[in-house]
Amino acid sequence: MADTPQLLDFIVDRTHAGIFVVDRDMRIVLWNQFMEVHSGRKRDELLDQDLFDAFPELPRKWLTRKINNVFILKNFSFTSWEQRPYLFKFPHNRPVTGGVDCMRQDCTLMPVKNDAGEVEYVCFTLFDVTDTSIYQMQLEDLTKQLRDASNRDGLTGLHNRRFIEETLASEFARAQRHDHALSLIITDIDHFKRVNDEHGHLAGDEVLRRVAQRLNDGLRISDHLGRYGGEEFLVVLPETPLEGAETLCERLRQAIAEEPIPLGDGALPVSISLGISQFRPGVRNYEQLIEEADQALYRAKETGRNRYTIFQPPSAA
Amino acid sequence: MNIAPYSEDQTDALQEVANIAMGQAGDSLARIMGHFVELSVPRIRLVTVQDLVATVSEMVGAKEDVAAVRQAFYNQLRGEAIVVIKQSGADELAELMDYEDEVDSEAEEELLLEVANLLVGAIINGISETLEAELGFSAPSLMTTGAPLERVLTPDKLTWSHALLVEVHLCIEGHKFKSHLLLFMAEESIDALRGILDNFIDDL
Repeated sequence: MADTPQLLDFIVDRTHAGIFVVDRDMRIVLWNQFMEVHSGRKRDELLDQDLFDAFPELPRKWLTRKINNVFILKNFSFTSWEQRPYLFKFPHNRPVTGGVDCMRQDCTLMPVKNDAGEVEYVCFTLFDVTDTSIYQMQLEDLTKQLRDASNRDGLTGLHNRRFIEETLASEFARAQRHDHALSLIITDIDHFKRVNDEHGHLAGDEVLRRVAQRLNDGLRISDHLGRYGGEEFLVVLPETPLEGAETLCERLRQAIAEEPIPLGDGALPVSISLGISQFRPGVRNYEQLIEEADQALYRAKETGRNRYTIFQPPSAA
Repeated sequence: MNIAPYSEDQTDALQEVANIAMGQAGDSLARIMGHFVELSVPRIRLVTVQDLVATVSEMVGAKEDVAAVRQAFYNQLRGEAIVVIKQSGADELAELMDYEDEVDSEAEEELLLEVANLLVGAIINGISETLEAELGFSAPSLMTTGAPLERVLTPDKLTWSHALLVEVHLCIEGHKFKSHLLLFMAEESIDALRGILDNFIDDL
């Protein structure tokens, strides 16, 4: 047991984490080997030096306060790479495969008390979490890709039915809560069955892709577009009163009808019909909005196609 | 207050310990924040995991969007603290904590963690000093920065059936900032605490 203090000194010095200690005046009183190696600064030149004089690049105001809080509260304190990537700008061990510029660090600040229970020193433990951070970033990237893929329609690249319905549901709830305007457009390619029958399914797919592209190009930044069914698309227009929805419908209609869709050597004239419905007090749920837009779309078809119509709520008699 | 597994003396002692701890915590926090910090009389009770959401909702409101941070403490007592900060007061944190730089989302998260760590530390240290225990802390982690608590605290993800819950409300003089602190100690600590409280009573 006589050797225990020596053993502890050895472990503190050689352990695979940065350990250093400052006193109340922010003077460095301990600096272990990990800190020496990564900072390139020997303890002989650092001991008794002011931490911030020795490392002027440290965020002085923030860190001083953090250290002082440990002295006052006698409390542990922490920093995490997720919010503050590093305390000291150290190189890391993955210079080739890393993809991050320097060592990511988690730090613990521990109060070191004397016999009277007063905090005399603050001990920093600094962990290299570069690997963890890289795995986490890879995982986040992958999750994002998966989430994105699961929300997209494979053929057109637009949002899929599930996602656009979710969007509509949340916009509906918002409109209800704040009594905001909300418009919904359902649009459908006219005589699409004929395209498939006369030109084949590949041509049909191409028309769907082109129409989707043109619709998407015609939207405003806040609009949401999704493929709702075979040749049906849904446009959710948050905070948009009727006039805005009508303007957009007309723009989308023209964007499709104006120019035939290039197909093989030739081009195929295509048009769309559109139906508009509007959120108003008394609309029970978003499904009702879809149903009403669908009725309007049906009327647009009935009255000659290549046009939009507006759902007329039964007047309160 | 009536906590089934504890005798009346133990229950009184526990409330006393909690009261002393809050007094100390209030003092330390006031020194750091530079404002008077008001802590409620801690409310102590035994909850089952099924009651948890209802109990917490009653206190914080389950539907309201909040920020929440969790942090574990360990040693003679083991448990987790959850700090719930109402959105309306979260904007004031930067000012309270003297952040001068522009507060981006990382800085905002860091502030939440920092404040939660201070609150939990102040209160746990108050308790451990009073009980002469020496507790350690894990790093705090974010549960949410803006979601209703009922979505964050889901009983099917909790592995205990009973817990001792200590709740404290906290507000800061002249500010909208409001926070709730929930300390959960799971079954094994309920027994451990009994012994610690008996020692505390003997020492009186």
